[in-house]
Amino acid sequence: MEYMVETKGLTKQYGDKEVVKDVDLKVPRACVYGFMGPNGAGKSTTLKMLLGLIQISAGRVTIGGEAVNRNNRIAVLKETGSLIESPSYYGHLTGRENLEIVKTLKGVSKEEIDQVLKLVRLMEQQDKRVKEYSLGMKQRLGLAEALLGRPSLLILDEPTNGLDPAGIQEIRELIRELPGRMGMTVLVSSHLLGEMDQMADYVGIINHGHLIFQDKLEVLHEHSRGSLRLCAMNRTVALEILKREGVSCRIEEEALELPRLTDDATARLIGCLCAGGAGVYRVEEKQKSLEEIFLSLTGRRGSL
Amino acid sequence: MLREWKTEWMKVRRRRIALVPAAFLLFTFVWISWAMRSSHMESGKEAWMWLLMCLGLVNTILMPTMIAMLASRLCDVELKGNMLKLLCTMERKGRLFDLKLLTGTVYVEGYVTAELVMMLVFARLHGFAGGMTLRHLLCFLLQCGLVSLGVLLVQMLLSLFSVNQILPLAVGLAGSFLGLFSWFLSSPLWRPVIWAYYNLLGYIGQNWDESSRIVSYYEVPPDKSALLTLLLVLPLGYAFGRQLFIRRTPGCD
Repeated sequence: MEYMVETKGLTKQYGDKEVVKDVDLKVPRACVYGFMGPNGAGKSTTLKMLLGLIQISAGRVTIGGEAVNRNNRIAVLKETGSLIESPSYYGHLTGRENLEIVKTLKGVSKEEIDQVLKLVRLMEQQDKRVKEYSLGMKQRLGLAEALLGRPSLLILDEPTNGLDPAGIQEIRELIRELPGRMGMTVLVSSHLLGEMDQMADYVGIINHGHLIFQDKLEVLHEHSRGSLRLCAMNRTVALEILKREGVSCRIEEEALELPRLTDDATARLIGCLCAGGAGVYRVEEKQKSLEEIFLSLTGRRGSL
Repeated sequence: MLREWKTEWMKVRRRRIALVPAAFLLFTFVWISWAMRSSHMESGKEAWMWLLMCLGLVNTILMPTMIAMLASRLCDVELKGNMLKLLCTMERKGRLFDLKLLTGTVYVEGYVTAELVMMLVFARLHGFAGGMTLRHLLCFLLQCGLVSLGVLLVQMLLSLFSVNQILPLAVGLAGSFLGLFSWFLSSPLWRPVIWAYYNLLGYIGQNWDESSRIVSYYEVPPDKSALLTLLLVLPLGYAFGRQLFIRRTPGCD
């Protein structure tokens, strides 16, 4: 399989401290690849290395099948759009004028400006100075700059940072549409598992500079499956029935935490509890938090 | 390259940068007009020498501040909106530095040319006999054009590396004072000070006769060793500044 982005042993070292260690990213073409990790895990550093914004200490980067080096970096990146950390803009210029500068540098046609403005829904505000834009509008302008020239690869570092819920949803929908609509590969970073759930086809998780997981989103879901949380009026009876049925449980304040069961087993167990007079009044699935997934993944890093 | 240079002009749209040199030019004109009122020249040649001497001094005071303001307005656009990071994915940093310096050079040399025109207009308005000699023209271009390039290089580097533009502006202002002091305190210690070169490359001398209270002007050759130093330091300073910009700005070149 040929990947849009591939890194081999990507490492970044500041003095004695390795902030990114031997990262082997494999980003398939025309998909949304979610790059996750807690703050300070090395996400932005990795993305900056891909864009050549910081020097690589060791390893190599291949974009679109071409190994990136000092000589071809700008040429390779012409096919790449990026939005790193916060949007870049000239505040004294209008949104359209900002896009005209990027258009001129990328050498793309003027018509594309209208297309990207429509795509990020900034048509109405295009003639307003960017310093008067809200953070969400600036973020959308940054996205429009990245989209100019219809790049085959889009690298977005936490693009929903600082946006209101409506803006977050809008950006997510837009990102979700890009691979199908424009054939783009989107490499997007976030520290929110829920966000990736709504956007990504593939995910990579980085922690303390190590890539600890990389696969399809469905595979991650296997790891994130949590437990069942059961609340009963008569906890003693409930505990007896669970013991009789051979289901282990953990007492947690007013609830009982059960391991995740199959749908059939869950239905049968609830039936038993109700028939036995346990007085079940709530059963809910408890998803693992990102931190818990990290813990479980870190524990099994060797096998991933 | 032309395409990239075009973006430098697009970036400064609405910044009204030309107003800075225009205002300084007007101020210079007013200043020398005021100075002219208290001067008594006997011949056309002497009048020209007075004008060139006066302009050299006024430029020493005003140009460092003007260039600091100009460089700051040209460079702070990249820092305010976090643009360098994006530009470095589309443009080589070395080229970005070159084109920014080139844009600044166009403004500075445009100012020098405008000053030259202003001088001719001034001379005609006041009926100076004769014209500007070729020697005077070349010396003026060396003193004003070449030294200002060095000052521009220093100010651009300071502005590109300062998030707060107060520092480069303060340096520009200090440069004005240092340059002015160099006219009155002769010392070899001025050699490493770029702003003092407006004086070191001066080409008109003056005599003050205390008894008659008359100042007479005469031609002096510009300091050759200062000129040679400047001609050597300028390309070295450019190479050093460019390398510094490449190293200190995020992005590999």
